[in-house]
Amino acid sequence: MKGDRLLRTLRILITMAAVAAVAAPVFLSRTPWPSTARDYLERAGVADSGAINLVSAIYLGYRAFDTLGETIVLLVAVSGTISILSRSGASLAPGFGSVAADNASFSLPQDKPTTHTLRTHLIEVVTGKLGPVVLLFGFYLMLYGHLSPGGGFQGGVVIASGIVFIAIGSRRDASTWLTKASALNKIESLGFLLLMSAALSGVFAGKGVLGNPLDGPLFGKAAFIIVLNIVIGLKVGSGIGFMCIAMLGRHRS
Amino acid sequence: MIERILLLILFLVGFSGILIKKNIVKKIIGLNILNSAVVMFFIVEGRTVGERSPILDPGVSNVVDPVPQALMLTAIVIGVCITALALALAFRLYKAAGSFDIDTIKASLHD
Repeated sequence: MKGDRLLRTLRILITMAAVAAVAAPVFLSRTPWPSTARDYLERAGVADSGAINLVSAIYLGYRAFDTLGETIVLLVAVSGTISILSRSGASLAPGFGSVAADNASFSLPQDKPTTHTLRTHLIEVVTGKLGPVVLLFGFYLMLYGHLSPGGGFQGGVVIASGIVFIAIGSRRDASTWLTKASALNKIESLGFLLLMSAALSGVFAGKGVLGNPLDGPLFGKAAFIIVLNIVIGLKVGSGIGFMCIAMLGRHRS
Repeated sequence: MIERILLLILFLVGFSGILIKKNIVKKIIGLNILNSAVVMFFIVEGRTVGERSPILDPGVSNVVDPVPQALMLTAIVIGVCITALALALAFRLYKAAGSFDIDTIKASLHD
């Protein structure tokens, strides 16, 4: 037994030393970062994409394909998490998966007792009041992603926290459609459909997949980035909100 | 230089969490710490060529490189996906074996 412990410690030490030997040159290298990409983007980024936020210009302009794949990864992760949780007998919130009656689950009981540790008056008041403000901030981040720090993913995650706040903080009798499984599901599906349509709309304008069809005298070039930001924000917000509320196991009839 | 040394330490802390801890949830937290260290390392690398944030308001020049920032946006989202899936798998193992400890899970699998 003692030999086993010694062997394990030795193995851990050797592995850590090997990882440190590999990672240290990477982290501590003094090779200057190439400034070619920065110089090009600073010169031509705004003219190419219409967004003065260069990060938005990259992930919705130059590398929009990557963003498309990323939203698909997010979709797969949400559906995989929900299906693993519901198959392994967690009692998710009704409508969020097949509900199995189980006492040993981490979710809240069906009808919200006031003594539950997760649900104090303080949390109810704070989250309920803060929820709409957080939602508004999320929409701001989403809509102004081409001008200021923010964008579809960041705004979407903030919107998801707003939805979770509202789900935690709303009183037993208060009912909002925003935290229902069917509504979130519909928003996410609609978001994905709109994303695909936006990606393919460039084909009909003669610009290729994910080309900018709104590039004309009527709208600025940034219009397409705003549209993509809104669609991605709605999709990410509803997807992550769906996952979180499903894990809360909140009863909502 | 000091920030690079700190990030290396953070990276090694995350890796040692994955390696040493027996509790699966703590392993997942270690994975998150490792992910954060890599994200911050990319941001630190990207800011060596400039000073201002990459938002080209009129008159702004000498911005940092926005490419690593856009890349890390992807990495953060993928990190969230990995964490959610890993936690779901950990919950499933807990339901199957009754414990988060990998030794107990291994023993219950051999039964």
